[in-house]
Amino acid sequence: MSAVAEDVSRRAVSGGEPLLRLEGITKNYGPNTVLKDVSFGIGKGEVLGLLGDNGAGKSTLVKIMSGVVPMSSGRYLWEGEEVQRVTRPETERRGVETIFQDSALVPTMSITRNIFAGREMTNRFGFMKLRAMDAITTEILDSVVSIEGIKSARQLVSSLSGGQAQAVAIARAVHFKRSLLILDEPTSALAVRATEALLDYLVQLKSEGVSSILVTHNLHHAYKVCDRHIVMNHGRKILDIRREDTSVEELTAAVVEGAEGVKRLRQGTPLA
Amino acid sequence: MTIRTPDGTGLGEGAQVPLMLEEQAPSRRRLADSQPATFTGRLRDNLYYLRGRGALEISIVYVLILVAFVVASLANPGGFAFLNSNNLSGVLSQNIPVLSILAIGAGFLMIAGEFDLSIGATIGLCGVVFIRTANHTNWIVAFLATVAVGMGVMLVNGLIVVVTRIPSFIATLGMSFFWTGASIYINGSTPATFFPGVRTDTMVNLMAGNHGYFRSQLVWLLVIGVAAWFLLHRHRAGNKVFAVGGNRAAAAAVSIKPNVVRLQAFVFLGLMVGIASSLYVARTSGMQPGTTDSYTLLSIAAAVVGGCSLTGGRGSVTGMVIGAALILTIENGLVLGNAPGFYVQLFLGVAIVIAAVFNKFMEGKAT
Repeated sequence: MSAVAEDVSRRAVSGGEPLLRLEGITKNYGPNTVLKDVSFGIGKGEVLGLLGDNGAGKSTLVKIMSGVVPMSSGRYLWEGEEVQRVTRPETERRGVETIFQDSALVPTMSITRNIFAGREMTNRFGFMKLRAMDAITTEILDSVVSIEGIKSARQLVSSLSGGQAQAVAIARAVHFKRSLLILDEPTSALAVRATEALLDYLVQLKSEGVSSILVTHNLHHAYKVCDRHIVMNHGRKILDIRREDTSVEELTAAVVEGAEGVKRLRQGTPLA
Repeated sequence: MTIRTPDGTGLGEGAQVPLMLEEQAPSRRRLADSQPATFTGRLRDNLYYLRGRGALEISIVYVLILVAFVVASLANPGGFAFLNSNNLSGVLSQNIPVLSILAIGAGFLMIAGEFDLSIGATIGLCGVVFIRTANHTNWIVAFLATVAVGMGVMLVNGLIVVVTRIPSFIATLGMSFFWTGASIYINGSTPATFFPGVRTDTMVNLMAGNHGYFRSQLVWLLVIGVAAWFLLHRHRAGNKVFAVGGNRAAAAAVSIKPNVVRLQAFVFLGLMVGIASSLYVARTSGMQPGTTDSYTLLSIAAAVVGGCSLTGGRGSVTGMVIGAALILTIENGLVLGNAPGFYVQLFLGVAIVIAAVFNKFMEGKAT
C-alpha cells in the first residue's frame, strides 16, 4: 500500500520549490488518529485534487492547512521555509484562503459586508467606505463568477440559495488575490452552469499563478480540472498521482476500495 | 451540444436540451447595470433593504403609538396628560435615556451572540461606587471611577464566559448574585446617599438638569446613540461584532478573533452601564443595592423589541433606542390612563411578547 504512494509521489513533485509542503502531518483527537504521517507539496499554479470518502481525513487536512486546527506533529513549509506556529492569521498573511463547505459566510450580513469582513475598506479612523465597497462587490459579482438571481450587493446572505452563497464565497477569495485557494466541496451546492463556471475559473486562476486545492467527492469534476490528485483513505495518503498517469476508474477504485483497489486495477482484475 | 449534469456524466450529443437553459445562456443582465441611478430609486432600494433588519417596522409601530397618545392628550388634556411638560420631562426624558443606554449596551452584546444577566446588579454596584467616591472626592472622579468599575465588572464577566466557555446566560446569572453581594459588602445594606453639598448644581445640571420639556439625560442619549450608531453600523469594529454573532466560524476563518470581539462587546456594555448608573444616581441621589435587578430584563427586552436577535448577528442601535422608548411610553400611557398597577405589568408583558413575535416574523422577510 505504501509502495504505491511512494512510487507516485516521487514522480508527482515536479522540479522547483513548492508553494506549500506538508511533511509527516499527524493529527490526533484524543485517542483517535485522524491523520497519519501525511506528506505532500503543491506547486505554484498547480490545481490539486484532494479526494477520499467520508471520514478519510480530508476536512481535517484542510483545517490544518488553513491554520484553523493545529496539527499534532509534522512540518508546514511555506516556500521552503518552516512555519513554526500555523495559525489562521499566519496562513491568511501568506495568502491561504479557504472556502469551507458549511461555514463560509455570515448569513445575517449583506454580501458586501461578507466579502469585506475582516478586511474592510476604511478611512484612517476605521470607518467603512460602504459605497465604494458596494461598487466593488457589484463588479466582483459580475466579473468573477457570474451568478444568476442576485439583485444587489446589499442583499443578506440568508436570502441567497446555497449555490449563490458558495459563489459569493469563491468570489471573495478570488478578489483578494490569494496565493493558495482551498475549496472544500465547492460544487456540492452549485447549479450546473455555476459549476462549469467555477471549474473554468480554477483553470484560469492557474494561469495567474494561483494554486488551488479542490476537495471533492465528485471525481469527474476533479479529473477535469486538477493537474494532480491525492487520494486519502482512513487518514493516510494512498495515492498521489498526476492526471496523465491515472484515470477516473483508478481514482474511483482508490476512493472506494483504498490502496487494494488500485493494486487490483493495475494487475488487470476488474473492479469488484 | 453537450449538456453536463452535476455528476459530470453529461447527457451526450443530441440529447433533449431543456428550453430554460437555452434562454438563460446568451446575455445575462449585469448587476452593475441594474442598480438604481436616481435619488428616488436609491431611496426605494434603501427602504427595501431596511425591511426586517431591525428598526424600520418597530419605528412605525412607535410612531403610531405616539400619534395615538398625542391625539388622546390633545383631545383630553385633563384626563390624559401625555403632552404635559411634567410628564415629558419628569417621566419620559428621565427614564427613556437611562433604559436606552442600557439597551444599547445589552444590544451590542446580543449582536455578538452573548447575554448578560448581571446588568441590574452592576447598576447597583456602579451606583454605590459613584456615591461613595463622590462623597470622598468629587463627582468627576466619581463618574470616571463608576465607568471604570462598570467596564471592569463586564470584563470579568466576559473573561469567565470566554475562558471557561460556559454559556453567558449561566455565567452572568451567577455573577449577578456575586455583584449584588459585592455592592452590599462595600456599602452595607442601608441605601448609599450623597453627603450634603456633594451633589453640586453643575453635576445635577449636566446629568439630570430640567430644561422645561426635556432633561439633560436626553442629550446624553443623543450623543451616545449617534456615537454607538456609527460604531456599530459604520465602523469596522461593529462589522466584526455582527460577523462574530452571525457565524463565529466564518468570522474566525477571515482572521477575526471571536473572543476578542466578544470581550469588547462585554466591556462596551460595562461602559454603558457605568454611564447609565451615573445618570441614575445623579437623579435619584441614592442607591439601595439589590433594587435595580429589574433593569436586567427590561434592557434585554428593549433590545429584543427593537429587533435584536436572541441568537446574535442581528440588530440596530435605532431599534434598541426605539425598543426602550416603546416599552416606557406604553407603560407611561397605561399609568396616565389610570390603569391599576396590576394591569400595567400585564399590558407591558403582552406588548413585549407581541413585539418579539412581530420581529421574528419580519426577520423571515429580510432580504
